[in-house]
Amino acid sequence: MTDATAAEPTDNQAMEQSRDLSGARDMIACEGVSKWYGDFQALDGITATIKEQEVVVVLGPSGSGKSTWIRCINRLEVHQEGRIVVDDVELTNDLRNIEQVRSEVGMVFQLFNLFPHLKVIDNVSLAPIWVRKKPRAEAEEQAMALLERVGIPEQAHKYPGQLSGGQQQRVAIARALAMEPRIMLFDEPTSALDPEMIKEVLDVMKVLAQSGMTMMVVTHEMGFAKEVADRIIFMEEGQIVEQGTPQHFFENPTEDRTKLFLSQIL
Amino acid sequence: MTAPTTQERVSHRVPLWRDVVVLKWFTQVVLLVVVLGTMGFLASQAGDNLRARNISTSFDFLERPVDIQLSEGIDTHPDTGARALWTGMVNTLRMSIAGIFFATILGVVVGLARLSDNWLVRRLGSMWVETLRNIPLLVQMVFYFSVLTTLPRVGLGTGPINGWLHVSNKGISMPRVFIADGFYQWLVVVLIGAVAARFVRQHRQQIQDETGAMTSPILWGLGTVALFGLVGLFVHPVFSWMGPVFGRIADLLDSLPVIAPQLGFSAIALGVAVTWIRRFLSAHRSARGHLSLSDDDWFRIVFAAVASLAVVFVAVRWTGLSAWTLDSGRDLFQVLADKFDVDGAARPFDAMRPDIIQKGMFPNYGKSGLTMSIGFAAVFFGVVFYTSAFIGENVRGGILAVPKGQSEAAKAVGLGRGQILRHVVLPQAFRVILPPTGNQYLNLLKNTSLAVAVGYSELVQVGSTTYNQTGMTLPVVAIWMLFYLSCSLTISVVVNWFNVRMRLVER
Repeated sequence: MTDATAAEPTDNQAMEQSRDLSGARDMIACEGVSKWYGDFQALDGITATIKEQEVVVVLGPSGSGKSTWIRCINRLEVHQEGRIVVDDVELTNDLRNIEQVRSEVGMVFQLFNLFPHLKVIDNVSLAPIWVRKKPRAEAEEQAMALLERVGIPEQAHKYPGQLSGGQQQRVAIARALAMEPRIMLFDEPTSALDPEMIKEVLDVMKVLAQSGMTMMVVTHEMGFAKEVADRIIFMEEGQIVEQGTPQHFFENPTEDRTKLFLSQIL
Repeated sequence: MTAPTTQERVSHRVPLWRDVVVLKWFTQVVLLVVVLGTMGFLASQAGDNLRARNISTSFDFLERPVDIQLSEGIDTHPDTGARALWTGMVNTLRMSIAGIFFATILGVVVGLARLSDNWLVRRLGSMWVETLRNIPLLVQMVFYFSVLTTLPRVGLGTGPINGWLHVSNKGISMPRVFIADGFYQWLVVVLIGAVAARFVRQHRQQIQDETGAMTSPILWGLGTVALFGLVGLFVHPVFSWMGPVFGRIADLLDSLPVIAPQLGFSAIALGVAVTWIRRFLSAHRSARGHLSLSDDDWFRIVFAAVASLAVVFVAVRWTGLSAWTLDSGRDLFQVLADKFDVDGAARPFDAMRPDIIQKGMFPNYGKSGLTMSIGFAAVFFGVVFYTSAFIGENVRGGILAVPKGQSEAAKAVGLGRGQILRHVVLPQAFRVILPPTGNQYLNLLKNTSLAVAVGYSELVQVGSTTYNQTGMTLPVVAIWMLFYLSCSLTISVVVNWFNVRMRLVER
């Protein structure tokens, strides 16, 4: 395993999106995070930090622990060793910490997971009303503004089952944004979509990245990774194999495993 | 090149036996004729046989005195067959309603227990389910009954709380609260309270929606009803003027000629059919005004028209029905007039403490307390425990049917455990749980008839005693079937109504 800090900042200039974030504060800090499912080790000593406003894309073959890792960051999975600190709050068994982290971290899932019994607008305004205790009128106004932002205000009063996959995923993004999170996690947001719908979701994500949101994205969309990411983390067998800027990653990767992976997908 | 060939094919006439439309109509009509014909044949055969063997199917026994003693109920020594059967029906309904209520609560608890994170609770839940659903209900009832008969015998000056609560092998006896003369006036106050509660609830909900503060609108609504009920205890005599009003209506109904209900029935039947057909047609009209009806749709329209004409025909030909409607309407309002015609000081409720009376050698409970016999308890525990095992499985299945991603998504937006259950999991689980649980309610209702084994006087027990004494087997069985059928249909209608309301909207 390479401790990839060496591969970091200096050669950023070539990429358009690249920004100097060296002075920014840490939003997510993982230190030796490990997790087992029975005998199978899903995460093996993950150590990484993610800066404020940074967009990190996590790549890797399936089964490499990408999803498990980002699901640990809002405690949908429980890590067994190591520390995870999100915006200065450490994830422990303390329920209050868990709830505080969850209300600051938005998450978008591969299968959207919209609430099928609620209208689109109620999907978006549910958490602001019950967690943030916002007045319904205000929460719905905010929900409409968010639906406007993801480009589907006209679907507000339909049910999720009446929408296309791409529209559903955009609603899911609006739902996560409604809690005004400081970090957004994306767990393969486009994997369940038809090709022509992938673009509409990625466009929304790009705008979000440009607006300065801290983002962690598990995806197989290499175009998105090249264009939007500040940093790419490559994982295999629960470990971080290599990380660096998109330019470094796609043009001169150092690890053999990375080269093999890139040769298979590009 | 292809166009002419297609044209040719379309214009070619389909022979009748291959025409889907003709076949569909033909089968519908044939089936209808066969069904009606079979029913008519069976009815006329049964009638002939009964006449030939001189078996009476008259319902006269309902009016005649019977000698039945019931274990419990609104009337333990009914003077007519009708009164006896009515008491049995009330006992069946009592058992079913209490049973459905408690079996639902217990079933939800059992279902949640089987999904618990706690190992011991989970095991207890499975033990409960596996034991109770695998032993026949009848055996369970007899078991509970025989356990309860080991309780001490009734004695004067006994019971856990002497004079207030007695427990013995005759059952539990406790103070009884019952409705008294002023009740119906009080009920009017409560109904007004219910209307007021609606507005209060809406108002509180509005405040909650506008400010986000938790205003507990439902609690406020219930509180409003309670407040009206409380105030009503003192002010209810203000509604005594309703007695004469009902009396007037009764007189009016009495003076109406038979033609009035006939016209009324016909108008209602035709009106319903016409509005139904019109609404149906307008619902099927496309935006451009085109009407495309399938054959089934036409069948529905024809059926509605024929059914309404049949109602008109029956109403006109069967004058007895109209006369009966007028009479019973008059009786109903007369009864209401009597109920409201009480002197101002009458209380809405009254209460009595249980008493133990000495009759010969065996002390027994008297009439003044509320006595639940051990027969009641045996049947009650039987149906509640047995049904709770099945409802528990429904609840478990329903909750497991909600995808894991739903609660994960709810967690990810920061909802707490209770909020996830209330806003995300239960609303979706409910639509899975409801239909099979409706079936369990129907089973519970029908299973109460097993009470005949432990001597609880519900409808089947009273009915069989009645036909043993009068020999009127068929009429009693007809009454049984009609009763259970109408109860079951009521439950089905309620469950279906919820079902439709809970349906997910897709596409």
